[in-house]
Formats: sequence, structure tokens, C-alpha cells
Amino acid sequence: MAELTDNPAVAVGAVDQLVAARGEPAWLADERRAALRTFEATPWPGPRDELWRYTQLERFSVAGLDLVPGPQTDEVSERIERRIRDSDAEGVLVVKNGRPVKREARIKEAGVIFTDLATALREHEDLVRQHLYTAVNAPMTKYTALNSALWTGGTFVYVPKDVEVELPLGTFTTADRGGLGAGRTLIVVDVNAKATFIDEFTSDPLPGRLFHSHATEIVLKDGAKLRYVSLQNWSREVAHVHKQRAFVGRDARLESLTVSLGGDAARVEIESELGGPGAESEMLGLYFADEGQHFNQYTVQHHSAPRAFSDVLFKGAVRDASTAVYSGIIVVDPGAQKTDAYQTNRNLLLDRESEAVSIPQLEIAANDVKCSHGSTTGPVPDDQRFYLMSRGLRPEVAEHVLVTGFLHEVMSRVTLPKVAEYVERVVQAKLGVPGVKEKL
Amino acid sequence: MSELNSVHPDAAKLEGMQHTKQYDFRLPEDYYYRSGKGLSKEVVEKISYMKNEPEWMLKFRLRALEIAEKKGRPKWGPDLSGLNFDDIYFYVKPSERQGTVDSWDEIPEAVRKTYERLGVPEAERRILAGVGAQFESEMVYHKLKEEWERLGVIFLDTDTALKEHPDLFKEYFATVVPPEDNYFAAINSAVWSGGSFVYVPEGVEVPVPLQAYFLLNAQNIGQFERTLIIGAPGSKFHYIEGCTAPAYTTHSFHSGVIEIICQEGSNVRYSTIQNWSHNVYNLVTQRAIVHKDASMGWLDGNLGSKVTMKYPSCYLVEEGAHGEVLSIAFATDGQHQDAGSKMIHAAPHTTSSVVSKSISKGTGRASYRGLVQIHEGAEYARSNVECDALLLDEQARTDTYPYIEINEKTAHVGHEATVSKLDEEQIFYLMTRGLKEDEAMALIVRGFLDPVAKELPLEYAVELNRLIELEMEGSVG
Repeated sequence: MAELTDNPAVAVGAVDQLVAARGEPAWLADERRAALRTFEATPWPGPRDELWRYTQLERFSVAGLDLVPGPQTDEVSERIERRIRDSDAEGVLVVKNGRPVKREARIKEAGVIFTDLATALREHEDLVRQHLYTAVNAPMTKYTALNSALWTGGTFVYVPKDVEVELPLGTFTTADRGGLGAGRTLIVVDVNAKATFIDEFTSDPLPGRLFHSHATEIVLKDGAKLRYVSLQNWSREVAHVHKQRAFVGRDARLESLTVSLGGDAARVEIESELGGPGAESEMLGLYFADEGQHFNQYTVQHHSAPRAFSDVLFKGAVRDASTAVYSGIIVVDPGAQKTDAYQTNRNLLLDRESEAVSIPQLEIAANDVKCSHGSTTGPVPDDQRFYLMSRGLRPEVAEHVLVTGFLHEVMSRVTLPKVAEYVERVVQAKLGVPGVKEKL
Repeated sequence: MSELNSVHPDAAKLEGMQHTKQYDFRLPEDYYYRSGKGLSKEVVEKISYMKNEPEWMLKFRLRALEIAEKKGRPKWGPDLSGLNFDDIYFYVKPSERQGTVDSWDEIPEAVRKTYERLGVPEAERRILAGVGAQFESEMVYHKLKEEWERLGVIFLDTDTALKEHPDLFKEYFATVVPPEDNYFAAINSAVWSGGSFVYVPEGVEVPVPLQAYFLLNAQNIGQFERTLIIGAPGSKFHYIEGCTAPAYTTHSFHSGVIEIICQEGSNVRYSTIQNWSHNVYNLVTQRAIVHKDASMGWLDGNLGSKVTMKYPSCYLVEEGAHGEVLSIAFATDGQHQDAGSKMIHAAPHTTSSVVSKSISKGTGRASYRGLVQIHEGAEYARSNVECDALLLDEQARTDTYPYIEINEKTAHVGHEATVSKLDEEQIFYLMTRGLKEDEAMALIVRGFLDPVAKELPLEYAVELNRLIELEMEGSVG
């Protein structure tokens, strides 16, 4: 396996340039420089690193890529315009190669902040400073250090105490050129407030390879509720590395959905810290790897407080010599009694050449807990296929129905019909259902 | 004594096992030869010289030592920082008469005393033919019932087997676990001594288990037994091994290698319960190669030791091969039981099943670490893994690390694990029926282990129950 190598463009000079160009405050410049030092001091992950085992590392290389200076044009593609029209969002932001190119907001509720991070730094510096880097910061991994040092485009969401935002807010992260890019989403939901946010990653085919690093920080204060969707459907030139981390406070609830469909390779780390008694985190995942794609997802349910609940359900299908890796861990700290934590991974292997790896793990250091996990991998069941064929369906149609049905279990738990509908269409297009691809 | 034992016919002989403290004893060390402390080329050469081994074995040992030095210790798993090779004797030979005694009376007085203190029942010898008793690093007593000899069954200590059956030995030795496999297998390959050699010829069914009982004595010695078991086509037998070590203050090190070859249509079971004293690092490689339509079953009980790393594995290399692991782990204060299994499906229609039950008590930590691998072309392979963990105390800890790699579309693989604590309602119910709280807890724990315990031979099941009772005694208030 190829070793990962450095990129000379990732250097303190680049950070200084970025800070100057954006006119960022000194505290942020210090954070970025510290992150860069961490990046430089941290070795690249290798095949012997337990957390990166099974990851096809060479597909996440940043070597030889230029830092993305911005898009070729600020124009928003027809595809994204259509997606915006199809959504029922109250607020939409489009970030293209790190630059915010469009913002539409019809937010009815008072005091809600929804803007790009650069604007937020100017207009709400204290609020940003108080929360930025609290959920995802530099020391974590080589890639999060890279992101912490060099992120450009990003979104800031703040929902004040007791405010409920009825309709979703969302950001489309897109690109029209290759290179090395980093984005960040920071969502703060204050006490007893409620919101929905959709992070969508999409692009038309790009002229060169894009490495996109993304960090999502979620801070849920006591009693806060958030639905968070990450929907990755990049074009095939993209390597996507995404770290999502949420701090879930007392009686707060996070419902997250992570969808991996596009790109050449994607590594997504999704972590919830159940940090207050009564906290809840539902973590759903759906993936469909085809045409040699490599998806690697890692979940962490970290119970640091008692009486919290977490539930992971990740389901995926693989075909055309693709690989899907799910690994996840439930960590119950000493003293986190009455923890209720579950973890399920199900894989459907659709051909010989593909591979699915499943590593559901438990580390339990409290005794009064209910924890379980399960994992299954298998083919589309022959008897079900046979039944559908006996009702007159052609073999390929029977397979479409069964794969869609298999993945539907995840989507049926998502209370966002527009998202569910879109994901289903992308899955159908991947399955080769006629007439779907054109409408995407 | 609880009522269970006062009515049990073997109650008298179980008296000797009543308190774990009774294992805390040592006898004067009166050894024939003891290597210097630490591991070096000289030590390896000396071991081979003392044993008067053929040239190829010396070369094998030296190559293994080189491999070990190159490999270094594993970077994953339990904390092994307390294990210092420079404090360990890698070879101790207790007596020259090894392999030549035919009766219990001929065993040296000191060794017999150790067995008596441990409560290895003499009566068992009548039932369990061929008690292979290993004192320190070599077999000193080995007997096989005459009718089995007639059947052509070979049951010897490994050193004797090398001398008496050199061709058979060389054909299979290190073919299942080569020294390259892992660091501790390499160490074992360099300094191995003792262990059992079993060969059961074609079509032979051995009705009564073959059993080896061995133990450690002498401060700081290492025990590196090497067991090689060959089941010829259509053979069927059960091999049992148990080991108990007296407790010492400095850390001891045990690193065995067990290789099993299950040829076509054979049915082999290997059962072991380790109850090393709580200062032993127990790092063992157990592996079977399972051929066409053959079946291999591991029963693995881990009760003792400070740290155990042991993952019995089955390489299912031909069509219809079946592998099974039943695993029990009991971790109490200061113990880390890192046990598990590996199932490699490399051929079509292979099946495997793993059932693991672990209990963590006090500050004990029990981990399940497993691998299920389905290779491309292993059509219709099936594997199912179940892990249940029971936590008895607030500081107790349990982990599950299953790795599942599937490369075959038609394979079906499942894994499930649960973690739970003792159910207060169940305890309350049993107490309303007159049981004391610790008795109620012991009963529930035994019930939890029952699916695995019922697969054990009787005397092991009895011993396991006794040990659980001892562990649970006084665990309330």
C-alpha cells in the first residue's frame, strides 16, 4: 500500500496568507497556526494504524494538490438550483470551492443566525469564538488538524434559547475545479431550542481531482434538539474526508443521518458525546458503493454521562468491485450508569468482487447498562428474489426492489421526506433503474 | 461448603480445592537444569543441546529467534509493559527421567505433592487414560492406555515424539503456526519445550478424552509448551488440557503454541481451562487447519492469569469444513482476559460458530477480540458469532472487538453481542426462596455460563462451578 506523503503547499505561509486575505482576528490565526503545528507533528496514518486499517489510504492522498483559491465562476449550477427549488428549506447557502456564492434565507423565527463562517466572524465574533474548535479541534487526527488549520468555506448556525426553527436550513458545498479544499460547519443549538440542518456535498464532473476535508461541529445545550443530515454525492473525482462531532447536553437530542453515495472515496467519522444525563443520539447511516468506490465510516457513541441513550443503524450495499467499511464503537465511561446504547450494521453484497468489512465494538466500563450490537452481511436473499420473480418481475427489477427495500429501513426513520425521496432516486440511478439518472 | 458439594459424590476430593489460597504455595526448587535468565542465541542453542535435538530443529529455533527480534511485540491489545524477558528463565528441566515412568509411584515425590495439593484426583487417572502431567517445562509422566496403543494412537510429550517419530513430526511441525505468524509464536518456536503430541490414525475413534494436566512452578520460569495434534481422515477424539500455577509475586510468562490438523472427515475437539495464578502473562497461539468435511471444536476457558491473549482459530481450507469456538472468560480484580476467536473461511460451504460468555468482576476486564474472514470463492459460507458479557461491579469493564471481512457475495455472516448486569429482580426472587444473596448471584452467574458449561466434561464443569462459588463468596457487602 502506498504511503501518504506531505504536500509542500500545506505550510505556515499558507495559513498566514489565508488569515491576512480574510482579515481574521488574532485568536483565530493562533488557533490555525497551532493546528498546523499539530498537523506537522502528526504522522500520516499508515496501514498498521488500527483506526485506518481497511482504509485505502492512497485514495485520501493530498500530495500534489494545490490549495483551492476559489471557484472558476461564482455561478450556481443548474443542478443545485433545481435541488434548491425542490427543497423546502427556510435558508440555503451555497459554498463553491470555499467561497460563499449564494445565500437565501426566509427565516421567520427571531434571533436565528444562519450565515457563512467568515460573515459570522465579523458579525458574531464572540459567539463563534466561544464554540469554534470545541467539538472538532486540531489534536484529533492528521486530517482534522489539516482542516482546523486551513478551512475556508463554512456555515454558522445559531438557534437561540427556546426558539424552534420549523423548516430545514442547509448548505450546498460544491466545486467547479480540483485541488485541496477544507470546509467547516458549526451548529449551536441553545437551551430548549430546535432546528434541522442539511449539509449536502455535490458537484458536476470536475476537471481535476478534488480532496475535500470537512469538519462539522455540533453543540447541543440542555434540552436542545437537532436533526442533522450529511448527504455526500460528489462527482467521481472527489476524495471526501469528513469528521462530525457532536456534544449532546442534558436531555438534548441529536438525530443524525449520514449518506455516502458519491465521490471516488469517502471517509466519514461520526461521533456523539452524550455529555449530559438524559442525552439522546440517534445515528443513522446509508451507503451504496458502486464502480470501485471506497466508503469508510466510523461511528463513536461516547457515553460520559449517566442515563443517556444512543442508537446507531448503518446499512449499505456494495457492488462493482467496491468496498465498504463500517466500524464503530460504544464507549461507556466509568460512572455512566443506566446507559442504553445500541449499534447495528447491515451489509448487502451485490457481487463477487466487492468487499464489506464490519467492526462493531464495545468498551464498557460501567455495570448498570444495556448495550448490544449486531452485524450481518449477506446477499440479496434468493427466496425473496424468487418470490418477486414468481409474481412476474424481471430478475433485475426484483433486485432493484429488494435493494431499495433493504435501504428503506434507514430512510423510513428519517422524518425529512424531501431528503428521503432524493436519496432513493440516487440509489435507483446507481441500480440502473431506467429514466432516473436524467432527472437527478 | 455449599450443599451442592456435600451431596456430590466427588465432594471429598473437591475439599482440597475449597480455597484459592491453597494454590498459593511453592515447593523447594530442585532442578536438574535451569537456563540463565533472559532470551539470547546462547540460551536457544543450549536448550537444543540439552535436548540432543536434530540439526534442523536447532536451525528452526534460531531462525524463529531472528524473526521474533525483527517483529517486536504487538502494538495492539492488552498492556504487556510488566512483562520483562530479562527476568525470565526460558528453560527449566526438572528431571532426566522424563518420558520413562509408567506409574504414579515413580513420579518424583516433590511433583506428586504438588499435584496432591492442587487436588488433581488420582481417581481421574482410571477414567481419563494417559494423564500427561507436565511439571515445569517437560513431561515427567505420560501414560497411554494399552488398548489405544493397539489402535495406533500416539500420545507423547512433544520432545519424545521428535525422537521417536521424526518423520511424522517433521511433516506437520510448524505447518499450522509458522514462527512468522506472530511475535509470541516466534518466541515459542525459539524456546519451546514440552507439550503434547497426538496422532490418531485413520478411522480411529477414541472414546475417552486424552488429557494432559500440567502446571508451572519455580519463580520466573517461562513455559513454552508446543502441542501438535493430528487427526487422520475419519478419526474422532477429544483432547483436554488444564493448567494451574501456584501464585508468585513476580510475573511469570506462558506462551504456548497449539497446532491441530483435522484431516478429511475427522472430528477433533480441544478443551482447555486455564487457571494460572494472577501474575502470569498467558499469551497463547491456538490454531487448527480444517480439511474437507472435517470438524474442529475449541472450548476455551480463561479464569486465571494476569493478562491472557488467546484467540483459538480455525482455518477452514476445504469444502464442508466446520469450526466452532466456545469461550468462557472470568476476569476479577487486576485481570485482563483478552480472548476471542478467528474463523477463516477459505472454501465453499464452510461453516463456523462462536459463542463467547464473559464475566467481569471487581476491576476485572474481559475483552472479546475476534475475526471472521470470508474469502472470495468461499461460496455459501456461513458464520455466526454471539458474545454475551455480564458485569458484576461498578468498576468492572468489558470490550468487544469483532472484525468481520467479507469478500464473497453468497456468504451469510452474523454477529451479535450484549452487555448486561446482574438482574436485581432475579436475585430478589431467589432470596425470597431462601438463598443468601451471594448464593443467588452465584446461581445466576452459573446460569449465564450454562450454555458453554454444559459442553464441558463433568469434572471440568464441577471445577468451574466451584471456582465461581469461590469467586462469588463474600462478594456482597
